[in-house]
Amino acid sequence: MNPDAPRPRVAALALAVGLVLADSSIVVLALPEIYRELDTSVAGVTWVLVSFNLVMALAAVPAAHLARRVGPGRAAAVGLAIFAGAGLACAASEQLSTLIAARSVQAIGGALAITAVLELLPATVGSERRAVAIWATAGATGAALGPAVGGVLTELVSWQSIFLIQVPIALAAAVPIFAVAKHEAATGVISTELRQTGRPHVLANVALAMVSAAIAAALFLLVLLLIEGWRLSPIGAAIVVSVMPLFAFVGSRFGRLVPSARARAAAGAILVGGGLAGLALLPHAEVALTVPPQVLVGIGLALVLSALTETALGGRAPQAIHGGWTISARHAGVVIGLLALTPIFTHDIAQQRHDAIDAGTAVILDSHVPPLTKIDLAQRIESRLEGEQGKVPTIGSAFDPLPSDPEERDAVVQLRDELQEQLNRAATHAFSPSFGLAALLGFLALIPIGLARKSEL
Amino acid sequence: MSAERRAQVLIGGAIVAAVLLSGIYLASGGSSYAPEKTQDPCKHRPWRNPEGLQQIAEQFSLSALDGAACELGVSRETLARALATQAARERFTQRYGIDDAQLAKAIRAGLLRAVADAEDAGALSPLLAAPLRETLRSIPLDQAIELINNAESLLNNVESFLGPAQGLLEQFLP
Repeated sequence: MNPDAPRPRVAALALAVGLVLADSSIVVLALPEIYRELDTSVAGVTWVLVSFNLVMALAAVPAAHLARRVGPGRAAAVGLAIFAGAGLACAASEQLSTLIAARSVQAIGGALAITAVLELLPATVGSERRAVAIWATAGATGAALGPAVGGVLTELVSWQSIFLIQVPIALAAAVPIFAVAKHEAATGVISTELRQTGRPHVLANVALAMVSAAIAAALFLLVLLLIEGWRLSPIGAAIVVSVMPLFAFVGSRFGRLVPSARARAAAGAILVGGGLAGLALLPHAEVALTVPPQVLVGIGLALVLSALTETALGGRAPQAIHGGWTISARHAGVVIGLLALTPIFTHDIAQQRHDAIDAGTAVILDSHVPPLTKIDLAQRIESRLEGEQGKVPTIGSAFDPLPSDPEERDAVVQLRDELQEQLNRAATHAFSPSFGLAALLGFLALIPIGLARKSEL
Repeated sequence: MSAERRAQVLIGGAIVAAVLLSGIYLASGGSSYAPEKTQDPCKHRPWRNPEGLQQIAEQFSLSALDGAACELGVSRETLARALATQAARERFTQRYGIDDAQLAKAIRAGLLRAVADAEDAGALSPLLAAPLRETLRSIPLDQAIELINNAESLLNNVESFLGPAQGLLEQFLP
């Protein structure tokens, strides 16, 4: 690092990148809470995630151009201010439409901030390569920590707190950047010369989009399976999905041992696809069984994302524009993954819900519970199902209070467990085709990786 | 180890890990972990140890449900939920485009199958089965549904039928 580089400014720039890229995934664990509180559908709540990523994908390259024209210091400061203001609006939203609109504005601010930071970093740290490394690490750290932080905040405070906490962090990151903006305003100098923009690395960016689609689907679907399907709390789900970022860290260590970006990208795509295939083939509704697939996805994403980002940015100038392309590709991939898979798994949830109800009815009809208790239970379960239209039903409370007669109680408990097993089977199976499709996306990323010239990747 | 060898090991390791994980999950039943399929209602379901009135009544109801569901081309489970409440019944008839007469016909067919199954299982004597069949052939819809939901009342009457047979006939004949 440049010894003269002001540490607070480097930290502020890294913080800005981490904060914005965390926002891409920070709401994942809050979605079930938002889904219930704003009384919407699974497809509707997906747009809280999709809107941010879609606007980010569309705005990243224009934002990079704008940052280079008005000055990266000013662009980063304004971007962070927009990001913080829109965060407040997100927290104040009482309707899904206003939340989605505020998220879109947040993405515009975020895109402006992170592309401008990529332009500021080389001058701050004195090396373009070092700047890319800091930028990529900060982004990966933010994206990795996002879901866990979001889950903890949702459970301990509320989903609104996820957005509120971003406001002081964004402002704290903006303070040292204001000095650069002030300098730009005072001197009228835009520090970076407007160099000719080179062609983006199409194959690396296409592969990035495909892998990002698979990874976004993995995270989003796994969180929904854990919270909505298996009824884990947001903190519980946060702990479970932390396996992925933990092993992403291990993967980044592995990656350093292999200089070939092509090999890292190919191995990473295979691991992401293999991990997702494992999630598609879960043999039981058991949290521990999600760990090995997550280990593969975690290591794989670290290998493939770093290799493809390095390739997309390596030797290309200006960095902000090419950084804009990689951001655009990654977020477009997330959007494609979510939009392609949401209708599939919402349809599958509806189908599995129907099959689970049929299987559950068969369990009740064939159980050894006395007929009058059966009828009473069937009516209570029916009313619970009506109250949870379109969702994976919870039936535990329909069995309370348990009968006082020990023999009958045992039969009712056995019936409850058998019913729960059918629901678990349905919830798990409902996600299988979507995980399978996401796995396919991961494997398909091998095509652009293979097509890229060896000298390029 | 050379850089090229390290690259080969990395890719090879990734392939092995991916195949191993999928293979283990597949072998552990990963492809069939789904809700159990419901049985075809047109297939005969053997009665399980029909002992005591309550158990016989239950088996009778299940047989009747199977028979009616087979007639309507739906699962036994779907029909059971449809017959639980008036509102559920209306939703069911609307969804499958059937009227009350068709539903009544199917349920009567189901009750007749239940009588046959009870006879086969030795839970109902042929002497009782014949007049019971006659009664059930013309039973009104609401009473037919009531019989499926509470076959015990019917069988209670069948027991008393051993004595004054007229009791049951008076109750169910129009």
